[in-house]
Amino acid sequence: MSDFSDSLSVSTSGLKAQATRLRHLSENIANADTPGYRRKTVPFEQAFGAEGAGGEVRTGLVSLDRSELERIHDPAHPLADDSGHYEGSNVDLVIEIADAREAQRSYEANLKLFDQARQMSSALMDLLRR
Amino acid sequence: MDIQAALAAGRYAAARPATTPDADPPGGSGAGAAFARAAEDFASTLRRGETTAMAAMTGDADPHALVQALAQSELALETVVTVRDRVVEAYQEILRMPV
Repeated sequence: MSDFSDSLSVSTSGLKAQATRLRHLSENIANADTPGYRRKTVPFEQAFGAEGAGGEVRTGLVSLDRSELERIHDPAHPLADDSGHYEGSNVDLVIEIADAREAQRSYEANLKLFDQARQMSSALMDLLRR
Repeated sequence: MDIQAALAAGRYAAARPATTPDADPPGGSGAGAAFARAAEDFASTLRRGETTAMAAMTGDADPHALVQALAQSELALETVVTVRDRVVEAYQEILRMPV
């Protein structure tokens, strides 16, 4: 409709994308001790809205981290092989927490911009009302 | 005196058609069509807000979509109310005009 309305929907797409990112991060953290679990990463890509408002962001297909799984020594574990090791997950909690913090900051930035657009439009309406 | 009054009445009657509003060309770009489009836009924004709110209540839509739809509805409603207030104010200004 107007630029304000468009910027509201673009900010919302950013909020949605960060929420999706946080969801996959929490999956990674929840499965940090699951044997054989590979951490999931979500790419962001530019999307074009149905109403012609370009520049929106959306999350792409989830991909699995192909890095090597951690080998844990525990001969009593049912999944342990001949050498007494089994494959754990390749989730690094430090990386996940840093990523979550980044998602939070990004979310806050998008929220701030959403509020900014709203304040600007209402200031404009105040001008018209006087 | 009478002749002048009749003349004035004749002039007035002759000038009247100039003040009648033009009929809008069908589907054209007149002010009426623009207002109709704006009203349609406003109604569709409000309708979208309502359906999103209902979907969010039943758990179909996520809160982001709800917040976005409500903010857009608020923006549209504020615009329409402000424009309406200005139009009513202008109309009252005309009514108060000493003739």
